[in-house]
Amino acid sequence: MTVEETIKKDIETTFGELVRVEIERKHRVRAYTPRNMVLPMLAYLKQRGFHQFTLLTCVDWIKDGKFELVYNLYSLNYNVHVLISTKINRDKATMPTAINVYEMAFDYEREIHEMFGVEFEGHPRLDEFLLEDWKGIPPMRKDFDTRKYVEEKYGMKDLTKELFTRKEQPYRGPGSNG
Amino acid sequence: MKLFKFAQSRSLWMMHFCTGCGAVELPPTMTSRFDMERFGIIPMATPRQSDLLLITGYLTVKTLKRVVRAYEQMPTPRYVIGFGSCTINGGMYWDSYNVIKKLELYIPVDLYINGCMPRPEAIIDAFLKLREMIDKGEANAWKKYIENYEWYKKNQAEVFDVEKWSLKK
Ligand code: SF4
Repeated sequence: MTVEETIKKDIETTFGELVRVEIERKHRVRAYTPRNMVLPMLAYLKQRGFHQFTLLTCVDWIKDGKFELVYNLYSLNYNVHVLISTKINRDKATMPTAINVYEMAFDYEREIHEMFGVEFEGHPRLDEFLLEDWKGIPPMRKDFDTRKYVEEKYGMKDLTKELFTRKEQPYRGPGSNG
Repeated sequence: MKLFKFAQSRSLWMMHFCTGCGAVELPPTMTSRFDMERFGIIPMATPRQSDLLLITGYLTVKTLKRVVRAYEQMPTPRYVIGFGSCTINGGMYWDSYNVIKKLELYIPVDLYINGCMPRPEAIIDAFLKLREMIDKGEANAWKKYIENYEWYKKNQAEVFDVEKWSLKK
């Protein structure tokens, strides 16, 4: 049995029906987890040897009305990544914070809060992080219209208009003067 | 007056605000290969002692605040060179949500260097051009800032909170 299969079997015997585990490829296992099982899952994997919290990221599934949070853990011993992905509701998105299990989650959660607007319950410091004086909806959401925002905020009306109405000039190679 | 201008244009102290990728072209410009010191230009650590502000590349809103503060601390006459296409119209960040597009809306610019990124030859060329402009008395962008202070502040207020950021309390 390969390492990935052992890990898959262990997770399945511990959590049973609640999670669906897939081996995506060599060195990568993915566990589809319901929202309330994420923290137990993180705690379990941490004592199972996954000491490195590599990444927390978010995907906006706007048509389903869901955010998908992906917790990316890594173990040096097994050389395996485990991705825990969970779907939460998109409007008024909340999620219990993971900083009690992995301290590393602190900044990732701040970032996700700023870029997607997910509230992490119990996080002590969800204030300005990368953006400053940001007004408007969080910029990484799919319903954020970047071009409109840019045109209004940075005085780019004329320039974008010009860019998109200009006739395409075929490129004729270097030295041909256009 | 002519002597003053001569002296000014031949000992420019430069503060380079290395914000974007183009800043990697500055070390060769400063060091022996292109050697900008032969024109009397030396890099300076603080805005209060420098004449020339070189903005190398894109500015996020967060950085723009710092640039404005640095610019306002510089003694007059002060000169600004915008370096790279990002300072002209946003360059490859033309549709980015957090990068300002036209530097001249927020602080006055004497001279732009086109290119992404400009080579050291282009930078030296711009320095020589600036020197010429100072000699002829054309590099007067800093006066524009004083005369149109309200206008610049209005533009700045559109992208960040000027009140919260200003030094006077
Ligand atoms: S002009 Fe090009 S090299 Fe300069 S900061 Fe912008 S993207 Fe980078």
